[in-house]
Formats: sequence, C-alpha cells, structure tokens
Amino acid sequence: MKDIYILGIESSCDETSMAIVRNGNIVESFTVLSQMDTHASYGGVVPEIASRMHTENITMVLEETLKKSSIKLKDIDAIAVTYAPGLLGSLLVGVEFAKTLSLIYKKPLIAVNHTIGHIYANAINNKLTFPLIALVVSGGHTDLILMNDDYKFEILGSTLDDAIGECYDKVARVLGLPYPGGPNIDKMARMGSPTYDLPKPVNDNTYNFSFSGLKSHIINLVHNENQRGNIIRKEDLAKSFENTAIDELTRKVELALNKVEVKELIVAGGVSANKHLREEMEKVAKKHNIAYSIPDFKYCTDNAAMIAAAAYPLFLKKEFADFSLNAKSQSSILEDF
Amino acid sequence: MNTLYIDTHSNKIIINLFRDKKVFIKKEIETNNNHSITIMPILVEALNEAKIDVNDLNEIIVVNGPGSFTGVRLGVTIAKTLAYVLNIPIKTMSSLLIKAVSFTHEDVNIIEKEKNGVFIGTFNKNNELIGEYTYLRNSEYLPSEKDILDVQLDYEKIIRFTDNIRCINSHAVNPIYIKQIEVQK
Repeated sequence: MKDIYILGIESSCDETSMAIVRNGNIVESFTVLSQMDTHASYGGVVPEIASRMHTENITMVLEETLKKSSIKLKDIDAIAVTYAPGLLGSLLVGVEFAKTLSLIYKKPLIAVNHTIGHIYANAINNKLTFPLIALVVSGGHTDLILMNDDYKFEILGSTLDDAIGECYDKVARVLGLPYPGGPNIDKMARMGSPTYDLPKPVNDNTYNFSFSGLKSHIINLVHNENQRGNIIRKEDLAKSFENTAIDELTRKVELALNKVEVKELIVAGGVSANKHLREEMEKVAKKHNIAYSIPDFKYCTDNAAMIAAAAYPLFLKKEFADFSLNAKSQSSILEDF
Repeated sequence: MNTLYIDTHSNKIIINLFRDKKVFIKKEIETNNNHSITIMPILVEALNEAKIDVNDLNEIIVVNGPGSFTGVRLGVTIAKTLAYVLNIPIKTMSSLLIKAVSFTHEDVNIIEKEKNGVFIGTFNKNNELIGEYTYLRNSEYLPSEKDILDVQLDYEKIIRFTDNIRCINSHAVNPIYIKQIEVQK
C-alpha cells in the first residue's frame, strides 16, 4: 500500500505545533512552539494572548516543520487539526489555518478531538493492541477508557470533581511553586519522604476518581500550619500528595484490569509525563502480564504528532470535515462517534 | 491580475475579488459571531463564481483591525497563510484606513464603533495617519465635529490606494488590536 502522510496541527492551548506523520505512526517532522514563558509571567495561560501568539507564529511553525523533512506540502494526503476541546480562540486559529491549506492543496480536512489525540500518542512508533484500557490524565481529564478497536470508546470511569492535573496545579500554587505546577511538584517530590498522613480519595469499587477532597485537605493543612507559625516541609508534602494521588490512579487501574480482560494498558495526557506515574503503571502492566505503552516525553504534552496519528484511522474510514468546521471548547470523546 | 480582499473585522464578512484592480466579485455576509463557520465557505463561493482556482490569486489585501479580536484574527490567519504558501504579495489596511480612503476629506477623525467603545484614527487629506490609533470607552468618548462614523466604502478607491502600500513578509502580517486586555493593564 502507498504510504500516507498526514500533516497534524495543534493549537488548543499554549503550544503551536505541527507534525508530518507517515501511516499514523512514524513521525517524519515535528515542531512545538511553546508560549509557556509568556504565560508564566501571568501565573497561567491567558486565552486572548494565547490566540494572538498562535496567529503570530503559525506560518513560521509550518516553515520550520517543512524544513525538517523532504516531504512537501503537495505530497501530504490529508490535513488534520485539533478542533475540540480547548481554548476556543486558540483552536479557531488552527482550524482556519488547516482549512486554508486544505483549500490550496485540495486535500481532505480531518477534525481531531484533542483527548483522542493524547490516546493516539501511544500509536507513535507502536501498534495499539485491542482491547485495551487507556488511563487519560491531564489538566482537564482523569478517565479510564476501554477501547475495543480504533475509535471504539467506552468510558469506564471519570473524575467526579477535579482532574488530576488541575489538582497538581492547585497544590503547586499553595506550596508557592511557579506555573506550570505539575512538573514542579514532580521534581520537588523526588527530594521528599511521604511523612504527611493524607486522606485517601473515594475508597469505593467504581472506576471513578475524586481529587477535590485531597486538594482541600492540603490547602487547609498549609493554611493551618502557616497560621500556627509552623514550617511546611514542602518536599515531604509534595511527596505525600503525589503518593496518595498516584496510589489512587493505580488502585482504579488495577480494579479495571482485574475485571475487564484486555491485552494492553496505555497511559495518555499531560500528566503521563510524571515519572512516578510512569514507573507505577509499568509495574501494574507487568503484574497483569499485558502490553504497556506510554508516550515518549515529547508526545505526552500537547503536540501535533498525536493529532496526525489520531487522524490516520479517520483517513482510512474517509471521515472528513468540510469548510464549515467550527471549533468547540468542550467535547466528550463519545460525542462525535 | 487577481486580488483577494478579506475584511472580517466586524460581524459583516466581506470577501471581494478584484480583476486588474476592478471589483469583480463582491461578497458580504452578516454573521452572528460565527466567523469560523462562514469565512472559508464564502471564500470558496467567491472563487467559484469568479471561475478561478485559489492558485490563480496574485495578491492579497487584508483588513487587519482594529475590530472583533476573533474576527480579525481569523481573517488575518487565512490571509497570511495564503500569501505564505502561494508565495504572493500581501498588504494590510486598517479598518479605519479603508473608511478614510473611501471619500475626499480634510483632516478627519474616523470612528469605528464596537460594543463598549470606539476606535479612533485621525487622517489628513492624503489619508496619512496623524498620531496613533486610540480606543476610548463609550463613557470617555466626546464626539467632535471632525468625527465621521458612517462611510460608504468605495472599493475601487481602496484598491487604488493599495498601490501606495508596501508589501510585508507574510510571517509578519498580524492583527492590530489597539484595545488592551485586562491582564496587560
């Protein structure tokens, strides 16, 4: 069969990224332009500034992506773009950019859900083995998903309140760590011991998660200690928090693996860059004697290679979008399929 | 010589095609904050009516604001992408300049209204901007007799005026926002 090249475009938050991916799993060229330094000075992503920077940089990111590969735009078989979920203004820049390329080269336009993109980051340099269980962990998601085939999703459980990434960011803030909070807690936890006794999140037998109780407990603990003039051992608290949160993820994944027979466990989303989580999930998969996949660090955070990878099954099924495609700030992975 | 003109700074999306500097196709659609659904289909319609391919475009003029942040951003994104990929010249005009060049005048304040305030630009009789563009909230705006709000746009005059405008590198084409956002204050 002829090789299929897809150009992926991602602009859902504060990264402008493009990638050329062959047959859904070989990355030919890859660029990520992060705006993190700009937003860090505001303590978080400012949506209007993010949108502005996408428009400023988008043609340069394309130029950079083309420079790294011998593949020309005219050789591309389809243009894939993140259309949801994310910051609306930012998504729209990528969507209109993608339509323009599709118009010029008369190549199909493929609308990709960002969360599904994170799952398909595991298809890069790899072949997904179905059925599989995917743990999706990010600033907006904490989901356990059963996949019986490409784009066949069944949500086993989700967070009832805060997403794990959100919880990391809020705990980072109360510990006085700079934005982005997640990676900074991970770093700090490496230097600490789990000496703080923290409450276990929902201790039930569903596949759902809850992190707001843990978050509130830590915020109260820090305030109380501050009021009493006691010093917080930040490294130890970070370690205690991380252990509790990841134990909960591990427990629910094990619960699912005990009941649902699958061939592979995959982890996806921004929090999958967390070292402790990566180690624990690998142990779980080994214990259950199933395949295990977690993306390379560079494909854990927002990037376009995963968008092109997720577009490949849609390309084969000829599920194309037209020029009236709109961006959506919210979208469940079940909604579209 | 096919020139594409894109103006998406307000809720009226305007896509025109000029052939040899004469208006050839004129598209004007009201949108309800649905720029994304509307712009590209109208552009395709315009090209189809003109019976030309997008690759037959020779030049692009884009109105780069001030106006609706999202509207301007999407028009500019499409315009700079076309110019970059097709490797054709691109020029920008502000939403105030297109009004100024559409009629004969002495020194004049061109006003562009938006929901909570006005954008103002003062132009001389040669349509050179005097000072800078400003944004005033409705409560700060004191109308003067030099103010002109409504101007019937004259596209032949607009396109002729672009002969005086220098082309810019497509990467450097960006919206002008004028209005500051909360965090920048």
